[in-house]
Parts: sequence; structure tokens; C-alpha cells
Amino acid sequence: MNIFRRELRANLKSLAIWSVIVALLIAIAVAKFSAFAGDPDLLVLLDSIPEPMMEALNMRAFNLTTLAGFYGVMFIYFGLMGAIAAAMWGSDIISKEERDKTVEFSLVLPVSRSRVITAKALAALANCISFVLITWAVSLVAVRGYHPDQAFYDFLALEMQAMFGIELIFLAIGLLLGCAMKQYKLSGSAAVGIILMTYFMSILASMQEDLSFLKYFTPFKYFDAGELFRSGRLNSTYLLLSAAIIAVCVAAAYWIYGKRDLYI
Amino acid sequence: MSIIEVSKLTKYYGKARGIVDVSFGVEAGEIFGFIGPNGAGKSTTIRLLLSLIHPTSGSARMFGQDVAAHGPEIRCDIGYLPSEVYYYEGMKVIDLLRYSASFYGHDSTERMRALAQTMELELNRRISDLSYGNKKKVGIVQGLLHSPKLLFLDEPTAGLDPLMQRKFFNLIREENARGVTVFFSSHILGEVQRLCTRVGIIREGRIVEISNIRALQQNNYKKVQVAADGLNPAAFNLPGVTNLQSENGTVSFFFKGDINAVLHRISALQVTDVSIEEPTLEEIFMHYYE
Repeated sequence: MNIFRRELRANLKSLAIWSVIVALLIAIAVAKFSAFAGDPDLLVLLDSIPEPMMEALNMRAFNLTTLAGFYGVMFIYFGLMGAIAAAMWGSDIISKEERDKTVEFSLVLPVSRSRVITAKALAALANCISFVLITWAVSLVAVRGYHPDQAFYDFLALEMQAMFGIELIFLAIGLLLGCAMKQYKLSGSAAVGIILMTYFMSILASMQEDLSFLKYFTPFKYFDAGELFRSGRLNSTYLLLSAAIIAVCVAAAYWIYGKRDLYI
Repeated sequence: MSIIEVSKLTKYYGKARGIVDVSFGVEAGEIFGFIGPNGAGKSTTIRLLLSLIHPTSGSARMFGQDVAAHGPEIRCDIGYLPSEVYYYEGMKVIDLLRYSASFYGHDSTERMRALAQTMELELNRRISDLSYGNKKKVGIVQGLLHSPKLLFLDEPTAGLDPLMQRKFFNLIREENARGVTVFFSSHILGEVQRLCTRVGIIREGRIVEISNIRALQQNNYKKVQVAADGLNPAAFNLPGVTNLQSENGTVSFFFKGDINAVLHRISALQVTDVSIEEPTLEEIFMHYYE
């Protein structure tokens, strides 16, 4: 409990920074939306954009002149930010002890390594939950002026669940990298590298028919805003796949960290 | 009772040698000196005992329990002062000490105040604002705070001024008098000689000698100095004599063996001065390293 509390406090600043960024993003985007809202000329303009480009930006699924459609396009930013924040929190919370050379203090305390991981992972998880709730709350406040209907609120709720799903996957991946990598300085960069790689895979998967098998390898496709909008729910196959990835990463993190030498 | 039992402990970092076949024991209530030059494997041994790293082969037990299997339980009774102390920079000294104490499940506020007072440590400063020596003081207080039964000190005096060093040694002696076992690793022989009852000497990852300090000094070679008129250094060309030097009618050498052989030679001379001394630990140490 003491480790959990200390980590929460130590990560508060990072959470605050991410929250400010997402709040600014929403504020600016919603202000821009006021230019699109209900404008038929925009639809004509959008029709002239080449098809693959629209696919890549996931804009074909949405009508940008409606608030739900606009939020559908926004989702990828929430997803990316959630992924990066979660992966950094996950990897940093473990690897910083080696980077700052505090392992000779923190792991000489009478705690097992698995207890350390549990407390730290829970602290990072609390950060992820807070980040989604803050994104959600800021969104609700930002769109108030447009008096959205219930359908929009339902879709927003679904998007936030999806954002949380992406966060959980990358939190688990980040945790694994933080626990497993002896080159502790690289674990954060490796996490961001994986995010960018899987993100571009998700773009390729939607642009090229014969590359669509890639969708199983990228969490951004598990939680695809277009699909969510069409079906109105999370895909259970992808949810299972996500749960499996998370379970494998977390188990591997515990196993590797439990038996490896700490770098001092 | 043995508090620490190390048997054939070996650690390789990839191909690089850490320690090889290290075996020794530390008895309850003693201050055990662990000496060797930089890179000999002193810190590696301590980190293996604290299970920060895992052995390539061999095993170690503390308080009768295997360190690999019972790390957290064993560490309840251990205090550790690393050679370089690093703490969470953003925290205040007092918060860090409270955080550390919270893991041991008994209230140590009073002891914290007392230790901080002895070591002249300001509790309300931020860790990041502290000098190297002051961080070391935090380390000392943190290591002793929970009244451990076994203390690991890894080159503890680096960064402390002589006055603080003395206070620190007094503190360690007090702890030892209360029954605390101390594992004292250092390359400064003077302090080991002052504090320890037994020493282990480690060199290039291997233990070369484990001995009582007194026995080490007595059973080792003697420093002999003889001054006499018309002295011929060749007179002392005996088996067991090393480092034979002659200067201004004074002959000095190291001798190991039956001292009577030397006394015989001396008695044949008309000497003006003779001294036969035990070597300092430093000289013994250098001898092991040649």
C-alpha cells in the first residue's frame, strides 16, 4: 500500500500534464467543429478526397458534420494518447528505479519483487483510469453547447471504453518492457516504437485489402472507431484477444523481473 | 551461531568475472571486515546476499534461511548502507525515512530523531538539495532506523568528514554492543583494523584469506630492523627473509618463519638498535596483492 501511494504521488505531475494536453486537444477540436457543424459544403469537399486517404484517416465511416461523426474521427487521437501515456507509465514506473539507481534502496526493503510490481502496476492502472475519466469529463463539458442527443453520449461512452482497452494493452506491454529490458534507458523508447509500429500497421490494414490480416496484430484495430460506430458495441473476439495479450505480458513481466539481475 | 553462511558462491556477468567460489561465515555479534581493492567483488558479494542479483552457482544463507528463497523475510532484519546512496530525489528526508520505516511494521519515530541528531542530519530538507556527505548520512539513518540485527556497510565512510566518521564508528560500536552483527566492506584498512575482529580478504573475485586480525598480524611475517656497526646485509640471507634492504648501516627485512633463526644471527652482532614489529594490516594487504 505504501509503494502504491508513493507511486501515485510521484506520477501525479505526469498525469496532470497529459490531462492538460488532452483537454487542450478537445477544446481546440470542438472549437474547430463549430465550423463544420451542419455544413453541406464540407461533405462535397470531403467527397473529393481520394478514397485510400479517407480510409487511412478513418474518415469514411463518419459524417464529419455531426458531433458523433466528428468524435469518431477524434478517437484515434484519444487512442494514441492513451496508448503512449499508458506505455510510458507502465515502463517508467519499473525502469526508473534502475535509471535513478534507487533499486539498492527500494528492493532491499523487505518486499518481494512481485509485490513491488503489483503495487506499481496498480498505481499505473489508477493513472490510466483517471486519464480516461478526465478525457470523458472534459468531452462532456466541451460538447455541452451542441446539445447532443443520447446516441452521442452512448457513442462517447463506447469510445471511452475502447480508449481504456487500448490503454490496458499498452500498459501491459510497457510493464513487460520495463521489467524485462536491462537497457532500462531504452524501455520507454521501445514502448513508443511499438505504438507507432502498430499504429501504422492499423493504417496499412485498412488501406490494403491483402494486408487486412494485420488487423490481428494491432490493438488500434481491436478498438476501431468506425467499427464501434457501426456495431455500437465492442467486438468480443478482439476483447478476448486483448485479454490474452494483457495476461501474457503481465505474467511474463512478473516472471522475468522475479529472476533477473537488477542493473545497479 | 552463523548469521551468514556463504558456500561456493559464484557470479559471472556474462563472461565477466564477478566472484568465484567464495565461501565464508559470519558469526552472531561479530564485526566482520571484508577487504579488497576496487573491483575485487566486494559489492557483488553483498548484492548477492541481498538478492539484488542472483548467483551463477553456489548458495548463501542468512539467519539460517536461503537468501534466494526467503529474501523478503530475511531483509526484515537487515540494514544496508550502499557505497553510493541514491534516494527518490523529490522527497524530503523525513518523508523518505518514514516511507522506509513503514515497511518494517514498528514505530521508529523516536529512533529516527535520535539517529538524525547524532549524525547531525536535517530532516526537513529535500533529498535533491543534499550534498554527497549528507546523502550518506540519510543512508546511515535509513539503514539503522528499523533496528536491524545484521548490518551491511559497503565502504561506509566515503564522503563523511573525519568527525562524522568517528561518530559513525561509535554508532556502529554501540549497535554491535547491543548484539548487532556487522558486515563491513572496505578498502581502507585502517578503519577495518580499528573496528573488526575478523577479516576476509578478497582479490580478483576469490577469497585469499580469512582470519582473525590478531592472528593475521601475529602469524604473518615480522618487520625486522637491525642497526649495527660494520653490518653486512648478507648475514641475514636466511630462508623466509624478503625485502632485504640496507641503508646507512641499518638492515631491514620482512621475515616469516621461526624467529629464533633471526635472533641467532642478531646475537652474533654488536647491535646499536633492534626492532621486531608486527606488520600493519596495510602491509599484510599489500603483501597479498603483490
